[in-house]
Amino acid sequence: MEQFLQQLTNGLAVGGIYALIALGYTMVYGVMKLINFAHGDLFSCGAYLGLTLLTGLALQDRVGPVAGLLVLAVLVVVLVALLGAILERAAYRPLRESPRLSAVVSALGASIFLQNALMLVYGARFQVYPSGVLPEIAVSVLGVQVPLMRILVVLVSLVMMGALYLFVQRTKVGTAIRAAAIDQGAARLMGIDVNRVILLVFLIGPALGGAAGLMVGLYYGQIGYQMGLLYGMKAFTAAILGGIGNIPGAMVGGLLLGVVESLGAAYVSLAWKDAIAFLVLILILIVRPTGLLGERVAEKV
Amino acid sequence: MNRIARLALALGLMAAGPASAADTIKIGLMAPITGSWASEGQEMKKNVELLAAEQNAKGGINGKQVEVIVEDDGGDPRTASLAAQRLTTKGVAAVIGTYGSAVTEASQAILDEAKIIQIANGSTAVRLTEKGLKLFLRTCPRDDEQGRVGAATLQKMGAKKVALLHDNSAYSKGLADEINALLKGKVQVVFFDALTPKEQDYSTILTKLKAAGPDAVFFTGYYPEAGLLLKQKRQMGWKVPFIGGDAINNPDLVKIAGKEAVEGFQFLSPPVPKDLDTAEARAYLASYKKKWGEEPGSIYGLLAGDGFRVVVKAIEATKSTDPQKVRDYLTNGLKDFPGFTGKISFNQKGDRVGELYRVYKVDKAGSFVLQP
Repeated sequence: MEQFLQQLTNGLAVGGIYALIALGYTMVYGVMKLINFAHGDLFSCGAYLGLTLLTGLALQDRVGPVAGLLVLAVLVVVLVALLGAILERAAYRPLRESPRLSAVVSALGASIFLQNALMLVYGARFQVYPSGVLPEIAVSVLGVQVPLMRILVVLVSLVMMGALYLFVQRTKVGTAIRAAAIDQGAARLMGIDVNRVILLVFLIGPALGGAAGLMVGLYYGQIGYQMGLLYGMKAFTAAILGGIGNIPGAMVGGLLLGVVESLGAAYVSLAWKDAIAFLVLILILIVRPTGLLGERVAEKV
Repeated sequence: MNRIARLALALGLMAAGPASAADTIKIGLMAPITGSWASEGQEMKKNVELLAAEQNAKGGINGKQVEVIVEDDGGDPRTASLAAQRLTTKGVAAVIGTYGSAVTEASQAILDEAKIIQIANGSTAVRLTEKGLKLFLRTCPRDDEQGRVGAATLQKMGAKKVALLHDNSAYSKGLADEINALLKGKVQVVFFDALTPKEQDYSTILTKLKAAGPDAVFFTGYYPEAGLLLKQKRQMGWKVPFIGGDAINNPDLVKIAGKEAVEGFQFLSPPVPKDLDTAEARAYLASYKKKWGEEPGSIYGLLAGDGFRVVVKAIEATKSTDPQKVRDYLTNGLKDFPGFTGKISFNQKGDRVGELYRVYKVDKAGSFVLQP
């Protein structure tokens, strides 16, 4: 039982990160029907920018450990959001009227570009966050020792996802995003500036990805220019699992994928961990082709 | 300059191009310049390029200048076969590299068919030299030797229950199998499984490992994963000793895991650059530092350098780039060549002769200390 709970928390911590990245895929897909393959690399950019700002500005020495982290997080999120907007401008907007496949190829190109840019700027070696930035405290939950930071990672992910959900559901801008997701032409006729909605989506999605990158950097310490590849793939899977284009779906898909991976590795086979996760994905897609919460996709078709 | 003169110059350059190319000896280097082993690959490149420049400053090989042609294998078998194919079209006399065993394996047949000498520098999987390929050699030792040293170290530690963890790559799985076979009947292996490389979170694996209750864990994978395993093991408050193979020999291990987490960790490796004690190696390390601004971190770059030097030596001695003559010289003529990584001789299979593996332990300061 103790091992089960331990593995469950392991899975939730990884799943929280998947979910946060999955949101970026799902938001862009929802509005543009485009899989933004560069999203995983924006996540890497968040991790690298976080490292540069953390060591370069020494924020923690200036404004204290907690405030320093908050300022750092805000800076990283804003910068990665800007990067996302630039990416939209440079790689996707010129192809807005082209066939969808062209945009996908452009996304793959952007991914390779960002990955190699990171390698050229920071070098191919793994970079490491300084230790001691985060407190290393473990708390006991139901008899299981869980590092405090794991709980925080999950909590921060959940809070950010919740805030995004409320933003999209309850605000006027959020309504515009949803309207553009359902039908861009009709939204335009209703007086919604679809270009601005798309820009906004490309600010919010990468911002969440950047935040996830910073959290991974802070918690795991080791970052590499290719880190976005694996996380991106898993998060993409999570988005499909939950129903791509659907925001709560991305959250559920991410957490579920993390837990399935962890429990599959623990109780079936370590070496087959990914195979088990993808088997679950396939089974779910056979039963529900639009993903767990993917009715909205069906509505649109 | 008028148009005719410019045209004449252009024609002259075109004519001069192929002619001067025939006067150089081309040595290919296949290395993971990008990908997860890019730090090894870039050091391989730095070593070989520096040695080629030094050789050219001394007048080249038999009066011809050496030209190094670098192809990136990306640390990936598919990219490697393309890289090998490109090298075969460029008229290279020999290919140095590459690092990972699975990657080297993808290039072996291509280079062998094109009759090009290949000298791998980091591929330790046993089967690479068991296929009877006549033009393949390596400057690194083999995993059966590493397996012997690994099993002996585990027994010397007095471990009764051992866990073996690999990453499913040709090298890692091969080494784990090797150790598993050697421990059979002597030490109980309570865990044998693989992790997924390139991930960040290994707490699931560590939780499972801990439940198996081993006295020692041998991880046969690479240093990025080893660093994270050690770091997360410490965060769990688990104190079991970890041992690793030669792919963990990289100073970045300490950076990734942190000094506290890595203290007491042991790994097997050919001697690390700073423990190379011949006058020649020390002089070379100094010139490397002068040229590139830092000492080489990994031994594999130096093993690539040694590969380059034995090829140069063989071409000089045989006054020929004929692959068969070079190979015959390397296996029969070359005895105790003073390499940076120790004396180099090759047996008939193309394997390096002699015991190279040492046991290293990481101390409090994060330094790799050679164990007696």
